[in-house]
Amino acid sequence: MSGSNNIIEIIEAGIRAESLRQKAISNNIANLETPGYRRMDVKFEELLAKCLKSGDPGKLSRVIPQIYRPEQTPVKPNGNDVNYETEVGGMIKNSIRHKTLIRLLDRKFKQLELAMGHQ
Amino acid sequence: MEVNQGLGPIDIALSGLRAQSKQIEVISSNVANARTVDAGKGEPYRRREVAFTTDGEFGGVKVEKILADMSDFMKLMDPGSPLADEDGYVTMPNVNLPVEMMNLNIASRVYQANIAVLKRYQQMVETTLELLR
Repeated sequence: MSGSNNIIEIIEAGIRAESLRQKAISNNIANLETPGYRRMDVKFEELLAKCLKSGDPGKLSRVIPQIYRPEQTPVKPNGNDVNYETEVGGMIKNSIRHKTLIRLLDRKFKQLELAMGHQ
Repeated sequence: MEVNQGLGPIDIALSGLRAQSKQIEVISSNVANARTVDAGKGEPYRRREVAFTTDGEFGGVKVEKILADMSDFMKLMDPGSPLADEDGYVTMPNVNLPVEMMNLNIASRVYQANIAVLKRYQQMVETTLELLR
């Protein structure tokens, strides 16, 4: 039982990360021309991989996405480092991941319904 | 050859978009400065050109550097100008507007092509996602 709950929790954690990333991207695009603004990004996959390596599957659902500011991106003359194309691409990738997770969650719920004998 | 190497289709298309938008930035600088007689250093504006590179098998495209066009400056006969030399010529930037317009056309076509790849790939992923319904 705890196993199937865990799947839902992991998908939920992923969806939370995706929503946070969407927020970060919209914030970056809103600040496209703000002087001195540095773009923000969300760290989640790395933390998830680290948690997987540590070998405690119970902790997986408790991986919390983190906001950070990457420092290697090239900075424009006004001190801003937001690139429009990069942000739009991030949004596309994010929405694909988001859709995948939602479909998986839907699948999981359908499975549960089937087990409960719903027609 | 390793298969899972380099960037995915989305990142490759994005690298193309970034490169072409840099190219358009440089072209717009050239066009804006087509008549800039003084760009410091006692020289008129020198035309810039973008050099693209790629790293690895599927690394996408990158702007390696922005080079200065070292071809000769244009000489314009204008004895009345305060900037004219003793022979009556004014040294003008080596920007050739028709060439810039042609490059602008190419750059925007390539940008569109990258968008087409991006959109098509997105559609493909969505059809794959339909399998999960």
